[in-house]
Amino acid sequence: MKITKFMNAVMMTAAITFGGGAVYAQQSGGSLVFLVQPEPPTMAGYVSTSGPIGLLGPKIYDGLFDYDNDGKMIPVLAESVDMSEDGKTVTFNLRKGVTWHDGEPFTSADVQFTIMDVLKKVHPRGPNSFKEVSSIDTPDAHTVVLNLDNPAPYMLRALSAYESPMVPKHLLEGEDIKSAKLANNPVGTGPFKFTEWKKGQYIRLDKNESYWKEGRPYIDRIVGRFIPDASTRASAMEKGEVLYAAYNAVSNVEAVRLNKEKDNISITTDGYSMINPMALIEFNTKEGPFTDAVVRRAISTAIDRQFMLDTIFFGYGNPATSALSSNFAATGLHAKMPHYPANGDVAAANKMLDDAGYKKDSDGVRMKAMFDLIPYGEDWKRGGQYIQQVLGEIGIQVELRYEDVPTWLKRIYHNYDFEMNLNYFYQLADPVLGVHRHYGTNMIRKGTHFVNSSRYSNAGLDALLGAGMKEPNAESRSAIYLEIQNILARDMPVVNLFELEFLTVYNTKLKGAYGSAMGAYSSFGDAYLEE
Amino acid sequence: MNDFWKRFSRNRSAVLGLLILCLVIFVASIASLIYPGDPFLYSQYPLSKPGENGFLLGSDSIGRDVASGIAHGAKTSLLIGLIATFAAVLIGVIFGALAGYYGGLVDDVLMRVTEVFQTIPSFIFAILLVAIIKPSIESVVIAITVVSWPAVARLVRGEFLALKNREFVQACHTLGMGDYRIMLKEMLPNCLSPIIVIGSLMVATAILIESGLAFLGLGDPNVMSWGFQISDGRSMLRVAWWICTFPGIAILITVLAINLVGEGLNDALNPRLRERN
Repeated sequence: MKITKFMNAVMMTAAITFGGGAVYAQQSGGSLVFLVQPEPPTMAGYVSTSGPIGLLGPKIYDGLFDYDNDGKMIPVLAESVDMSEDGKTVTFNLRKGVTWHDGEPFTSADVQFTIMDVLKKVHPRGPNSFKEVSSIDTPDAHTVVLNLDNPAPYMLRALSAYESPMVPKHLLEGEDIKSAKLANNPVGTGPFKFTEWKKGQYIRLDKNESYWKEGRPYIDRIVGRFIPDASTRASAMEKGEVLYAAYNAVSNVEAVRLNKEKDNISITTDGYSMINPMALIEFNTKEGPFTDAVVRRAISTAIDRQFMLDTIFFGYGNPATSALSSNFAATGLHAKMPHYPANGDVAAANKMLDDAGYKKDSDGVRMKAMFDLIPYGEDWKRGGQYIQQVLGEIGIQVELRYEDVPTWLKRIYHNYDFEMNLNYFYQLADPVLGVHRHYGTNMIRKGTHFVNSSRYSNAGLDALLGAGMKEPNAESRSAIYLEIQNILARDMPVVNLFELEFLTVYNTKLKGAYGSAMGAYSSFGDAYLEE
Repeated sequence: MNDFWKRFSRNRSAVLGLLILCLVIFVASIASLIYPGDPFLYSQYPLSKPGENGFLLGSDSIGRDVASGIAHGAKTSLLIGLIATFAAVLIGVIFGALAGYYGGLVDDVLMRVTEVFQTIPSFIFAILLVAIIKPSIESVVIAITVVSWPAVARLVRGEFLALKNREFVQACHTLGMGDYRIMLKEMLPNCLSPIIVIGSLMVATAILIESGLAFLGLGDPNVMSWGFQISDGRSMLRVAWWICTFPGIAILITVLAINLVGEGLNDALNPRLRERN
C-alpha cells in the first residue's frame, strides 16, 4: 500500500516535471478570478434560480448528480439511482463519508429534508420538478427512497447542483427557509467553501480540503468579481485580470474581437445545453390587438430570425422552428412547425392579414400596439427596434416601451397590462421543467414571474401537457409533444424567435471548466490552471 | 437692432457659433428631405465603414444609417432643448417675479420650494424623474424642465428685487397701475437680457441632459437622438468606432455653438459691457 502511494507520488512528480502524461497533467493550486454579473442578492440557490447565484452556488453545494454533454448522469452525492418497473419508486444510494463544510456528516435525512421541505416548497421550479413525490423514506443513512404518485422521468434531469442543490438539514430545520442565515453564509458539501463576501466587489471561495473526491478540487481559491460596466468587464478579460466570463458577461461583439486578437483568449458555446434559452414574444391573448391567432401567426411569419441573430447576436444562436427548442431533438421531442421561417416572409404575412380581413388604412396601418422590451440592455432594445420596423411593413404600427426591471415585471406578470412583450425563457433540460410553465392553464399565476403571462388556456393542450409529464415511454412521449407543438404552432400564444447561444469567454490557461453540460453552473471541481 | 448686431458681431467666436447653429438648424429642418426614410430602418449592410455601401458616415450593427440618425437626431435634440428651455423659463419667470415683487411670506414660500429643487443634483434628479415616469419624449422634456427652472427663478427674483424700488416702478404705483401690469409691462422688459442669456445657455444644457439620459438607456426608444446613437454604439467602440464618434462630434459642436452664441448675447445685451473696447 505504502509503496503504491509512493510510486504514485513519484509518477506524479515526473509527470508534472516533464509536462507529459494525460492523467497527471492537472496542476493543483492557483486562484481563479471570474466574472459574476450582476452581483447576486443572496447565495440561496435553493430559493432563487437567478443567474448569478447559479454561477456561485454549485461550487459550494453539490447536487445528487451532474450531467455530461450527452445528457448522461454523472454520480455526485448519489452513487446510483434505481427506478422501479412502474416508475413510481426511485431509490438513490448516497455516497458514504461525505461531510458538510462545518464537519457534520451528510446523510439521507438531508436529502429528504431538501426535497420535501425546501425544493418542493420554496424553489421556483422545484414544485414542478418534484410534483409527483408524495413522500420520502430513509431506510438507512445512505439510502433515499422517493415514493411517486405517477412516473416522473423528467425529475432525473433536474438533479444538478444548480437545479436542486442539497442543503444541510441541521442548519435550516425549524427556520424560515426564505430568510434563514444560510442564504448569506452558505454551508454545502461542494468542492469550495464560502469564505468572504465583500459587497459590491467580490465573493471569495476557498478549497474544501476534505472534499469527498480524492485530489479535488485542483484550484485553491475562486473569486467571483462584480464589475457593473460592460466595457470594463471586457478590458478585465483582455488584461487577464479575470479568466472566465459566462452568460455574455462579456458582450458578443467584444468576445469575438478578443478571440480573434488575443492568443490566450477563446470562446465557446458549450455548457448551456441544460439551460436552453429561447428568445420570444409573449402576447396578451385576452385583450388588446393580439387576441386573434392569425395576427400572431403573421407576426411570426414576417420576422427575419436569421437577420436578428446575425446582426444583434453576431450569429450565435439558431432560428426557432417550433414552440420547443431544437435541442430537444435528441430526445425526440422536437419537430419543425409551419409559420417559423428562418428568413421572414413579409409578403406572406401581409397576405395572411389581408385574407383575415384586416384592412390597411391610407397610411398603410392595420392596427396599433404597444411593444414592451425586456430591460436587459442594448441588444434587446435593438431587437425591438428591428421588429418594430418589420411590423410596420405588415401594417402593424407599434410603439416601444422600455422600463426598469421591477416596473416591467409588474406590468407583465402582476397586472397583465401589456399587448406584446419581447423576452427570453430558459427551456431547460426537459419541456416539463422549462416549457410547460408558459402554456398550462394552471400556470396562469398572477404575480409569479416568467410563467403563462399570455393567459392562454386550452383544455386540450392542458391534457396533453399532463400526459407528457407522466409518459415514461419515449415514443409515446414524442407523439404527445408533436401534438403539443402542432397546437402551439396554430394558436401561437407565444412566438418563439431564436434559440440563444450564450458565449463563454475564457483564458486558455484555465482548463477543465467548460466541458460539463451545466457549464458555468457546474462545480469547477475538475478545473485547473496551467501556468 | 443694428446697434445690437454690431455689438454681437464684435465677438468673432459668437458669430462662428451662430453660423454653426444655423447649419445644425438647417440640417434638422431638411432631415426628412435628404433622408426620407425612418432613421430606424435596418438594412442588409450592418457595420459598414464610413463611405461603404453608400453610407456617408457608416452604418450600425443592424445596418441603420448613422448619417440619417444624426440628421433626424438634430431635430430631436433641438426640439427638446427649445421646448424644455421655454417651459423652464416660463415657470422660472413666474416664480421669480412673484417672489421678487411681493417679498415677505410669498418670497419665503416660493424660494424654499425652489431650494428643495436646487438641493438635488440636477442630472440625478432628471434620471429619477424619467425612471419614475416611463422613458418617452414627454417625460424627458418634463425632467429637463423640472431640473432647469430654479436657476431662472433665482435670477428673475434677484432682478425684480433690484427693480421694485426704482423710481419708474414707484411712479407706476402712484399712477394706480395694477401689480400684474407693472410686473409684465414695466419690470419684465427691463430684465429680459439676462433671461435671454440664461435661456440660450440652457438650451445647450438641455441637449446635454437629453443625450446623457439617452446614453443611460432612458431615452425614448421610438425617437432617434444623438444620445441613443452613442449608447447604442458604445459597446462596439473597438469594432465600429464610427457609430458613436459622429453623433458625439455633433453634440460637441452644437453645444459649443450654442454656448458661443450665449456668450455673444451676453456681451451684446449686458449694458455694463456696452462701454467695453
